[in-house]
Amino acid sequence: MTVFHFFNCAILTFGPHAVYYSATPLSEYDTLGTSVKAALVYLGTALVKLVCIATFLKVPENDGFDPYQELLKGLIGFIDVAGLYFALTQLTHRNISQNHKFQAVGLGWAFADSVLHRLAPLWVGARGLEFTYEYILQGLEANANLVVTVSLAALGSLMWLRKNKPKTLIPIIYVCAGILATMPSITSYLMRGLGWHLPKVVGFELFTSFVMAFISWQLFSACQRPA
Amino acid sequence: MAGRKGREGEMLESVYSVLALVFILVACVELCDAATVVDVYRLIQYDLSGVPFGSRFASLNHHAGSLPFAPGADLSRTVVIIPVREINLTLIRDCITQGKALGGFLLLLPQKLSPGNRKYAIERDRSQGKELMRNLLFDLEQLLIHANIPYPVYFAFEDDKINTVLADVKRNDATGQPASATTGGYKLLVSTSEPKKLTSPTITNIQAWLPGLKADGDANQLPTIAIVASYDTFGAAPALSVGSDSNGSGVVALLEIARLFSRLYSNPKTRGRYNLLFGLTSGGPYNYNGTQKWLRSLDQRMRESIDYAICLNSIGSWDNEIWIHVSKPPENAYIKQIFESFLNVAEELGVKVGLKHKKINVSNPRVAWEHEQFSRSRVTAVTLSELSVAPELLESSGGLFDSRQFVNETAVTRSVKLVAESLAKHIYGHQGKKIQIFADGSSLAVNPFYIESWLDLLSRTPRVAPFLKKNDPFILTLKKELSDHVAEVNVQHEVLDGMFTFYDLTSATLNIYQVASVTFDLLLLLVLGSYLILLFSFLVITTRGVDDLISLFRRPTSRKVKTA
Repeated sequence: MTVFHFFNCAILTFGPHAVYYSATPLSEYDTLGTSVKAALVYLGTALVKLVCIATFLKVPENDGFDPYQELLKGLIGFIDVAGLYFALTQLTHRNISQNHKFQAVGLGWAFADSVLHRLAPLWVGARGLEFTYEYILQGLEANANLVVTVSLAALGSLMWLRKNKPKTLIPIIYVCAGILATMPSITSYLMRGLGWHLPKVVGFELFTSFVMAFISWQLFSACQRPA
Repeated sequence: MAGRKGREGEMLESVYSVLALVFILVACVELCDAATVVDVYRLIQYDLSGVPFGSRFASLNHHAGSLPFAPGADLSRTVVIIPVREINLTLIRDCITQGKALGGFLLLLPQKLSPGNRKYAIERDRSQGKELMRNLLFDLEQLLIHANIPYPVYFAFEDDKINTVLADVKRNDATGQPASATTGGYKLLVSTSEPKKLTSPTITNIQAWLPGLKADGDANQLPTIAIVASYDTFGAAPALSVGSDSNGSGVVALLEIARLFSRLYSNPKTRGRYNLLFGLTSGGPYNYNGTQKWLRSLDQRMRESIDYAICLNSIGSWDNEIWIHVSKPPENAYIKQIFESFLNVAEELGVKVGLKHKKINVSNPRVAWEHEQFSRSRVTAVTLSELSVAPELLESSGGLFDSRQFVNETAVTRSVKLVAESLAKHIYGHQGKKIQIFADGSSLAVNPFYIESWLDLLSRTPRVAPFLKKNDPFILTLKKELSDHVAEVNVQHEVLDGMFTFYDLTSATLNIYQVASVTFDLLLLLVLGSYLILLFSFLVITTRGVDDLISLFRRPTSRKVKTA
């Protein structure tokens, strides 16, 4: 029964990535290489972030919300954005349209994130006798993260890869990208500063991720019209 | 080229082996992630002349349930959690006598009785609740140790975690669902091996000899007075049988008397003309088996030189009446003398001493008091005890309720004074004179801190004899303490007589898991499956169009249409 539960949580956490890959034209254009390269870039970014966190942040004494520490963590989070920039612009991809490039990069990035952050707790925890809703919530969080990452990759590709953008939309693009980039800080503020419980936080994440995805989709199609 | 390929092949192989190793290691990760881990103490398991008693099993892997039982429910895979405060003894008795198939019992004792609980209040007044609890625990204990229970029975102390678990279980049971396969069950797991018999359990007697002043040219052996107390206990939960009153109080009193008299005897001017023999015996609950063996092992001359022996048994919670139990008729001259000296001292102290006579039935193997073993070996002996009636077998031997709170240092101090003064009167010949040797405030005063610290130590040490090894730290402590006071200390190891057989495994750890049922996971699988299918369809529709989705399911026919 417990391995069963592990299996369930695993398909909740990693299933959508596979489904996304096979359902969209990504599979037709065989963009797996891009995704793998994006995953490797994520690994490198994670390493750099770890080193920065270890160097600059103190070990928290209590579980409360320390604004200064959270600000530092947010700033370090921007290393993520830098990594995404690197993955989108610097890596050599095969000839795939921009439309598919950001999707592939976002997918690879989100998959690496899920594996790194969620596979180990799942393997160790979900196989035990004890039942908690934690792993199901973690899976939902992974889904939200996928949406957020793909939206961020879309906005990123808009910012760095597309040269002719309608002037009015540029600030909106940057604002949305900023919000998406600081999502981790926002959730940790909610959990520690306001004391929200995990289900509420996951609900919030899902809601905002869908809203932001919708907005980014609109922005992307708006920018696509002149071209 | 071939060399490079070879090196690549080697590298690949090493990578594969490392991966395999990682997989094996990861597969072996089995962390204990229980919501609650509790220390539990097993009910004693023993055979008395081959008849089995107590709980016969130790390992537990069942769902949790609570009272009241649903009528006709199948409880053979349920462990019933019962707080002792709310227990209904008749129900338990019926359960056991009817041989109801049960997964096990988990009895929750009040937090106050926990040995680690330092916040005990030594209440002088016997509050109603305390008496009720004491009687309840006594009855429960007698019921459990005289029953043959074919499932595990464990004791645990109530705390917040286990109380929340119990409240949850009660709530679930109230909705009428059985605790096994559906929502929100708790699973209790104790993983131990099967209990094994203890082969040849040892009982250890410690004797200390304080010699008296032998005048030069005196060829005769000096007379001896013996002071004896049995130090081991027996209770429903052997890991919790600390026996503060029965007989921790006796042990502490003996140690204090030894200390006082060793001070007196250290100066040759005040050394009496009597030897003093102190005995800490084991095997008390089992018809004073250890005392019998100890007496038999004594040198015959030494045994004959014993004038009389005072046995101490449960002297820790009396107020103003204490009893002297004898087996020789009260008209006997020796008994009269001993009783009168006690009476005189008791008057001075302002307490009452009563005399109780119980004849020994030689054919009956039951030995209710320690002095009876002395009488059977033709030594005059009395027992000083707060109990007015002789206890039955395995009664008043340090049970669940006999914890530190039920013992009073002042009672022990008073007993020590009583015994010490009457001994001194006898030794120094001050009968009838109003002299207090161990007066308060003098250098020979009874030390209340000594008594208190030893009572504390004894109340933290479970002392069921079969589970005390030969060189148990506690036995060594007693030996060391006596040798601090007295020069000659001997330790004697014997094997407990064959009437009792004990089994091991007295304590374990209980893991309480909150488990979800298989149906829940099946439902979850269904939901997730439909979610992924929906996601797939949604993505295909939005990125490739509805036609593509339909074409996924109708590929062969559409091709036919195209060619046609």
